Amino acid sequence: MSTQVPSSLVTQPDAHSDKESPRWLGPLVLLGPSGLWLGLLLVIPTLLIFELSLVPGIRPGDIVNPSGLDNYGLIFQPVYFRVIGRSLFFAFGTTFFALLLGFPVAYWIALIAPKQWRNLLLLSFVLPLWTSSLLRSYAWITILRPTGVLNSFLQLIGIPPLDLLNRSPAVLIGMSYSMLPYIVLVLYASLEKLDRRLLEAAADLGANPLQVFWKVTIPQSLPGIVAGALLVFITSLGDFVDPELLGGASSMTLARLIYNQFIGATQNWGFGSALSMILIFLVSLAIALLIKYGDRSQVV
Amino acid sequence: MSQAATQNQGAMATDAGLDVELRKVFKEFNREMAVQGIDLSIRRGEFFSILGPSGCGKTTTLRLIAGFELPSAGEVLIQNQSMNQVPPYRRPVNTVFQSYALFSHMTVWDNIAFGLRLKKQGKAAVQERVQEALKLVKMETFAHRYPAQLSGGQQQRVALARALVNRPTVLLLDEPLGALDLKLRKEMQMELSILHREVGLTFVMVTHDQEEAMSLSDRIAVMNHGKIEQIGSPKQIYDRPQTPFVADFIGDTNLFRGKVEGFHPAKLWVVTEHGLKMTAQPLESGKSAPVSGQVVLSIRPEKIRLSYRPSEGQVNCFEGRLKNVMYLGTHIHCVIELLSGDCVTIMQPNTVAKLPNADTPLYASWATEDCLALTV
Amino acid sequence: MAPPALNSSHAQSALRSSGATRRNLLITAAFAALGYGLSKIRWRLGGNPNSHPSTPKTLEIYTWSSYVDQKLLDDFKAQTGITEVVVGILGSNEEMLAAIKAGKGGTYSILYPSDYAVTQLVQANKLQPLDHSRLIGLENILPKFRHSVHDPGNRYSIPVSWGTTGLIYNSEKLTPPPRDWSYLWQYPKLLSRRFTLLDDMREVMGATLKSMGYSYNSQNPEEIKQAYEKLVELKPHIASFTTDAWKDQLLAGDLYLAMSYSADAVTLMQEDSRLRYLIPESGTSLWSDTIVIPQPCPNETGAYAWLNFILQPSVAADMTQRLFFATPNQAAYDQLPAPLRNNQSLFPPDALLTKSEGIAPLNEAMTEIYDRYWTKLTSS
Repeated sequence: MSTQVPSSLVTQPDAHSDKESPRWLGPLVLLGPSGLWLGLLLVIPTLLIFELSLVPGIRPGDIVNPSGLDNYGLIFQPVYFRVIGRSLFFAFGTTFFALLLGFPVAYWIALIAPKQWRNLLLLSFVLPLWTSSLLRSYAWITILRPTGVLNSFLQLIGIPPLDLLNRSPAVLIGMSYSMLPYIVLVLYASLEKLDRRLLEAAADLGANPLQVFWKVTIPQSLPGIVAGALLVFITSLGDFVDPELLGGASSMTLARLIYNQFIGATQNWGFGSALSMILIFLVSLAIALLIKYGDRSQVV
Repeated sequence: MSQAATQNQGAMATDAGLDVELRKVFKEFNREMAVQGIDLSIRRGEFFSILGPSGCGKTTTLRLIAGFELPSAGEVLIQNQSMNQVPPYRRPVNTVFQSYALFSHMTVWDNIAFGLRLKKQGKAAVQERVQEALKLVKMETFAHRYPAQLSGGQQQRVALARALVNRPTVLLLDEPLGALDLKLRKEMQMELSILHREVGLTFVMVTHDQEEAMSLSDRIAVMNHGKIEQIGSPKQIYDRPQTPFVADFIGDTNLFRGKVEGFHPAKLWVVTEHGLKMTAQPLESGKSAPVSGQVVLSIRPEKIRLSYRPSEGQVNCFEGRLKNVMYLGTHIHCVIELLSGDCVTIMQPNTVAKLPNADTPLYASWATEDCLALTV
Repeated sequence: MAPPALNSSHAQSALRSSGATRRNLLITAAFAALGYGLSKIRWRLGGNPNSHPSTPKTLEIYTWSSYVDQKLLDDFKAQTGITEVVVGILGSNEEMLAAIKAGKGGTYSILYPSDYAVTQLVQANKLQPLDHSRLIGLENILPKFRHSVHDPGNRYSIPVSWGTTGLIYNSEKLTPPPRDWSYLWQYPKLLSRRFTLLDDMREVMGATLKSMGYSYNSQNPEEIKQAYEKLVELKPHIASFTTDAWKDQLLAGDLYLAMSYSADAVTLMQEDSRLRYLIPESGTSLWSDTIVIPQPCPNETGAYAWLNFILQPSVAADMTQRLFFATPNQAAYDQLPAPLRNNQSLFPPDALLTKSEGIAPLNEAMTEIYDRYWTKLTSS
């Protein structure tokens, strides 16, 4: 008897807690660490930046005393619209060229190149990522400058030299190059999953290779294209190494402007924070688009 | 029967019109021969099946016709036109793929309209023919769904409609029912058969399912190791297999390896490995049988009679004991161990009230014409 | 984006450029702000540097890339017994000011601010007054550097180098040769996109002001506006605003002219005899770089050891010969070989400098005005 009583007493609370604990413990254990990470390192800093953006003209050492939207008002000047426009132009341009250059490469590696070479080919494309981005930009200076590698070559084959350095083209070239490995990886992952029988099915139904490409390959890899494009877009929106080193005197971008407000010549942390909020907004917008597209690709 | 069938292959070639012809076609992958010298003639309007175990080269043969593979040697012709230089998208054939290969980013309607739109058909024509095709496969109400929202059987119908809507000269079907469960497969077999009659096109189907091939096809090519073992109607393939492989692969059979002891124009006397003396039907009467050559004898289980006493005057009659019984619903399979040690399977209608015990002497016998001598 | 090196302020002296450092400062500055925000509702941007103790055997210094090399560090270690010298590379004074004011400089025992930055650091209460009794050889410093406007009497800083801001140009490409700042506006065709200006607000604005006959440190908003407008006119022809990246391109002949500090110009002229350095006729800025001890300082003894090491005439002379900058140390100057002593780019005679001035600190309102025009100029 005496052994039965405790056992029933023990089992009851056990069963009770078995029911209770998973409800909140499971999600807590699974989401807690990353939640804490996100909260401490993303949400709170973003809120602090937002708070700073409400202090007009704050510099290091000043008291943080939020007082209004003056910093945002400053942005509404043609000169800053031009900066935002230029940033968007570089980001869109980079996305376009990275896609244009990256897709054929990813396509070739995923669908045409011999299987046993694929990993090696991918690796060789990712290799540039192992060098510093600064180093890559300096390499482009050497290539693109008026008497650089490119123009020496053009001269050799009788083509007039191109004045690319310290202009927008150099920025686009440098940024597209930097982004190429990323987009090739993302597109490869997408194309590698492409069902080849769909390509055969399309050919079987009368589609020539070009039609197969536009009507099947592209739509089928669209989620990958969208993901890759957004990755490139967001990253290049925040890049300032290439615009600074390759773009010359008229290549101020949002990221560089923010940098200048914090640790550059003009130390206005309030205005810099307001600009940061604008950048965060633009990036969020891009991510919202990604989620929307992601949803659609799930239905299909 | 068998004579007519074998002659047909050559004679019909010129008059009835051939839709597909393969002439001495070889296909090599990485130094391995997937297809080794196939000759094939498929008539207009025929339901033709290529049957064989996996890895026999049947799908490669179909892909050679579709144009996804190019022959290493030999020639593929469709309606007397050589196809060797013609890419898949210009061949007058359409394929129903194994597991369908529907375009997941398009609705059912767009999938079916795909081929027509490529051929620059007018909007009205596309509309009409897609509607017609949907009706043909009874999928009108699903036109605006995406493939992921359809069941396997429905996807199968869409795949059929997508191919048929283009009115190809030849419809190629690659294991079309392989992904469906048994009941659905039976239903679709019926529909496929009706569809074939309605549209009157040449169907070429690849399958590993002999029952499917038997029930649907006008003619069947049985393939093994990249070669065609036999081409003929389902009845010819079953009743008159020409090789031990065909006899074994199609349906059940009892095989005895033996040596020819003597022959007569319509008869062969054979002694099996375990010393049984049998009278057999030569493969092709009229031809001289291979004296003292090796043969394989094939006797179908349903052709063997079982009795308690030896029947008078019966040639192939051997004593044995009942070893095993399998119930198959309408039939039972009895395994009889002969005195020689050989086992034969016998099929009996499920009408026997009481089965003999294992010690009762039993006699298995079969007629000469049911004992086929196949050359090895 | 490039993967950020987490602690690049500790990058070794070989790292010439500063991009990576800058980015990380932004991140770390945000962290510092975060820490403060959590502890107070009303908080101060930046805060107390979190100085963690370091062993007396380690010395961290925050300096310009052109002021240290391996030999200097080796000599220092051999003399003092300090086993490890960690060198953080400065990109700009602003970068250092932002870092120190945001409380980031806690590990450094030695800083190398330029003159006007010294004033700002003093105002921010970030420097230790120097104990002259612990210094040896201060008397060797030339009198004019001992009584500078930025730090009269060397209360906080010891000058390590001085120089001018001017124009370095390729004498083969430019005829007639430039004589003054106005050259930039006079030959737009010849110079268009063939020259760079410093990425430095005060220098560029000051030079433009000077070219118009105003002070390098003008506090007149109207004059500043005029200078801005003059620069807007020049902007389409400027290849780039850069403090560093012009060097290779000038050597390669892609650039004909660059606004540069004399120290950089003299270094580069050793490599290419076509290059000349000009101190503009209408005047320019005279600058000096100094060594200071921050407050707090993790290794004060090490810091004084460093100061005394640099003050040694032989060390200063050696550095001048190896790294090409002008020493304000008279005893060191006397030890230099004649060609270097007579190098007018490095040691311009006083006659050339009569119209030049040091860059004076500005009050907040003036800084605001400069900032606004500079941002507009570089953003357009």
